[in-house]
Formats: sequence, structure tokens, C-alpha cells
Amino acid sequence: MLRSDPEDQSAITTPVPDAPAHSLMEDAQGLAYGATMAAFGLVILMHLGLVTGQTAGLAVLISYATGWGFGPVFFAINLPFYILGYLRMGLAFTVKTFIAVALLSALSVWLPHQVSFAILNPFVGAVLFGFLSGSALLALFRHGASLGGVGIVALILQDRLGWRAGWVQLAFDGMLFAAAFAVIEARLVVISFLGALVVNLVIAVNHRRDRYVAT
Amino acid sequence: MEPAPRHSPLEDAQGIAFGVAMAGLGMHLLTHMGFVTGQTAGIAILLTHLTGLPFPVVYFTVTLPFLAIAWRRLGVRFAVKTLVTTTALAGLVAVLPRWIELGRIEPVVAAVLIGLLFGIAAVATIRHGGSFGGLSVLWIEVQDRTGFRAGTAQLLSDAVIFGLAALIVPLETLLYSFLGAAVFSLFLAVNHRRDRYVAI
Repeated sequence: MLRSDPEDQSAITTPVPDAPAHSLMEDAQGLAYGATMAAFGLVILMHLGLVTGQTAGLAVLISYATGWGFGPVFFAINLPFYILGYLRMGLAFTVKTFIAVALLSALSVWLPHQVSFAILNPFVGAVLFGFLSGSALLALFRHGASLGGVGIVALILQDRLGWRAGWVQLAFDGMLFAAAFAVIEARLVVISFLGALVVNLVIAVNHRRDRYVAT
Repeated sequence: MEPAPRHSPLEDAQGIAFGVAMAGLGMHLLTHMGFVTGQTAGIAILLTHLTGLPFPVVYFTVTLPFLAIAWRRLGVRFAVKTLVTTTALAGLVAVLPRWIELGRIEPVVAAVLIGLLFGIAAVATIRHGGSFGGLSVLWIEVQDRTGFRAGTAQLLSDAVIFGLAALIVPLETLLYSFLGAAVFSLFLAVNHRRDRYVAI
């Protein structure tokens, strides 16, 4: 998705010529998988009172600070970004992202009532959150969707101002985690960092257009 | 056609670690719900019920004979990766109860999550050249020797495993287990494609 250097990483980020296309049903199952696993990851994250990065992280933090549910907040935050997404990434991406965001918002309201934990080690939970949401994002990217917001703005800033998208996202996450110290215990922010690290490692290692070639 | 890109050992390690973590979480859910499943893990669950031995021990033991077949058929690389995968999974399933105790879970939700977790675990592990050890290698061997289709044999063996499980678990549990297995199979059928994930 958001590689910042097209020259250096063109082999990784450019779709291969004549790449096979997913059918509508294949994209649907990819989006369903992504939203479900992301929702499961969020159940673990919010059960432990941890935070994460990007748009979902902002929604989690607002949810903790205000007591509003994550689902409605996440859905609302994403609304302004669809126009930008349409301009920068096209209609298919925007529609798929809207579906993924709507599905995750709905599931995140419902799923915590279906799955509960009696005991959950925070470190183990953070790693599992990282794997679950990393693979969820990977599935969404491979099926031409995303979980909205911040990433699109980062790409537009890269286009307009030349700021590297990767750095913009990192700066955003830095501010989010700094703000998190005001909302949750410092110990929990540190454990959250482990989860965010796993998410980003899963994506950094595995999101490669030269290996998963379908679009 | 260019040669397929190769994963580095570290890339394979993270793929298999991911697969083991997801399969471990899925097994933890499955055990919590008292569900059964097909394949090698399904045989291990049946034997766990019959013998009272802990699942990780039974599962690890059950995979050993298949490991020998895998070695002969698919080479030492695949066999070693499979051994690493099954050992890690057995270990994780053994320690996970210390870290996670599940509460009340809606059975339909559990079944779908189990299917997705097993599905992604299998896809990641297979893409990185490992496996969860088992039956499928035996059926490929049988296909080569007798011409009996491996896919059909796989389906039949799962039917036998679920048939035996029907003697042990209540019908409702069996149906939920079946839903989980169906999600798992569908996920694999749609997503396990060498023509799309091209690295080896």
C-alpha cells in the first residue's frame, strides 16, 4: 500500500504485468476475512485496554477518552476520507474501503458480546492482536481495500508536498502513542507498542506485489 | 517464465511462527468449545477423548509417522519445516491455557473464527513450505501408488473422523464442528493458489 519510494521498491510495489484479477466473490471473502479478523483483534486489544496506530488507533483512543463505542467513532472518523480516497485511489478502492470500514464498525459493536476472555496475558494478547490485525490488513490490501483514513492522507501529502508517506504515518502513530500516555497507564502504552510492532512487521515483510500477484 | 522468487529463512520463520500462533489460538478455541475437526488434528482429538492423554502429546505423536512419509516424498526441507511446525504447535497448545482462559463464546461465532484461524494458518504455513503434519501426504502417496484420488481420500477420511466423533460428542457440537471445518475448507479452496502467491 503505502511504500514511500517507488524507485527503490518498484519490484515490490508495482503490480506485475497481466496480473490475474480476483473475482467479486474472492474479493468479498477477502474483505469478510479482513473485517472479521480485525474485529477479533480489536476485541483482544480493547479487552486489555491497549491502543494501536493509524485511524483505528485514533478511534480506540477517542473511545477510551469519551466512553463512546469504537464502532460508531471509527465509522464517523473515516467519513471525510472517502472523498480523498476517491480522488487519489479511484472508485473501486474507495467502495471496498467503505465496505471494510462499515463491516468492521458493525462487527466491533457485536463481537465483544459473543467472545469473552476470563484471563488474557497482556503480552500474549498484544502479539495475537498484532498477528490478527496484520493478516487482516494484508488480506484487505491484497483485495484492493484498506481500513481508511490516515494512509490516504499520507499518500496525498507525499504527492503534493513530497513528504514520505511512511514517515507521515510514523509521525501520526508517534503522536497517537504520545497522547495515549494521557489516557491509559504507561505500562499499557509500552505493551501496545509491542502489538503495533507486530502489525507493522507482518505488513512490512509480507505485503509484496511481486509475490502475491493477483489484483 | 522467470524462476519463482524464494523466501529467505527469516521470512519462512515469520510465516511459520504466524501460522503456529493462529493455529494455536484456533486449537485453544476448539478445545474450549469441545468441538472436533478433521485431518490429523481431528484424529488427535479423538485419541485424546479415548485415552485421556493431553492433546499436545497425542497430536505430536500422531504426526510422527506422516513425517517419515513426508521426508521420502517431499524431501528433507519440507520434513524439517513440518517437524518445526508441529513441535511448535504442540508446545503452544500446551502453554496457551496459562496465558488465555476463554469465557463464554457463542458457538456459531467460535466455529467461524476457528475456520478462519485454521484457514489462514494453513495458507501461511503452506506458502512458507511447512505443514501441520499429516494425512494429506499419506493420501498423495496412495494416489501415486494406486491412482485413488488424494482429494477424494481426504474427504473420505474426514467423513470417517467426523463419523467416529459423532459417537463421542453431542449432535449440536458435531454440527458446529462441521461448520468450522466447512469455513476452513472453503478458505483453503479459495486462497491456496500457487498461481497467485508465487514465492516459494
